[in-house]
Amino acid sequence: MTLIYFEDISVGDKTSYGSKRVTREEMLDFSRKYDPQSFHIDDKAAEDSLYGGLIASGWHTAAMLMRMLVDSMGNKRAGLGSPGFDDLRWIKPVRADDVLRFESTVLETRKSISRPDMGVVRAEVYVFNQDNEIVLSLKTTGMMKTRAE
Amino acid sequence: MLYWEDFTIGQTLEFGSYLVTEKETIEFAREFDPQPFHIDRVAAAEHYYGGIIASGWHTGAMCMRMMVDGYLHDSASVGSPGIETLRWKSPVRPGETLHVNAEVLDKSLPKSMPELGFIKFSHTVFNQLGEVKMTLVSSGMFLKDPARITTTEASE
Repeated sequence: MTLIYFEDISVGDKTSYGSKRVTREEMLDFSRKYDPQSFHIDDKAAEDSLYGGLIASGWHTAAMLMRMLVDSMGNKRAGLGSPGFDDLRWIKPVRADDVLRFESTVLETRKSISRPDMGVVRAEVYVFNQDNEIVLSLKTTGMMKTRAE
Repeated sequence: MLYWEDFTIGQTLEFGSYLVTEKETIEFAREFDPQPFHIDRVAAAEHYYGGIIASGWHTGAMCMRMMVDGYLHDSASVGSPGIETLRWKSPVRPGETLHVNAEVLDKSLPKSMPELGFIKFSHTVFNQLGEVKMTLVSSGMFLKDPARITTTEASE
């Protein structure tokens, strides 16, 4: 298997991937475990809320994005994890039966000064629903292995 | 019930005691972050991290659960517009017990939505040894207390 290393990534590289249907069952399952606020788990309370119905936990939307990112790379990326992210925006609620996909663009690549075997890749990622509305955006930072000299 | 008015800048909160189990760590990662160092004991042992670590998104989700149990369940929270910064400072491993320190950094009132206000928080997730695992700065939206909105404000 040919791995994708830091040197294979360039500023401006774009990826578009995913067709994740969000089911009511998995929305409720996630929120009962991790985000049991009434507008995530209680139909009646959700109808009476600002949102007018059940919405997915924003952490669930982010987790579904992570799954699409992993699937899009197919374990071919020589990744070394991530120190974090910036500017995450939950722009529009995600509801049952929405179908999600993402688009990412590489913003910056730089070799680590302290660790020459590692590079840092920053990207801008948008999650869209089936109506091409942006539901979530964030700026990711990922660490990748460099090719051995 | 905690409304927007009930939070003050500089206020601190401490809450949570979340035991991270291997079963839950693997279950979460199989569904949302199936990289070998999250789901496969053998592969994880050989990896840079030297054993299974929780998906960073799982740590975020566990922090969210502690926030709900810690203060949001008794509040007029109506969601969040987003997270400014989140940092995974060190890996979370099965067997650790997490807790959270929170601080109110700022409060603001949007002009477009008179019934609610924003509160900016920092949250720091620690393990049982006091090691920092994750930090985030995020905003929450909270309803204003209808009883405390003055008649002049209400008539504007």
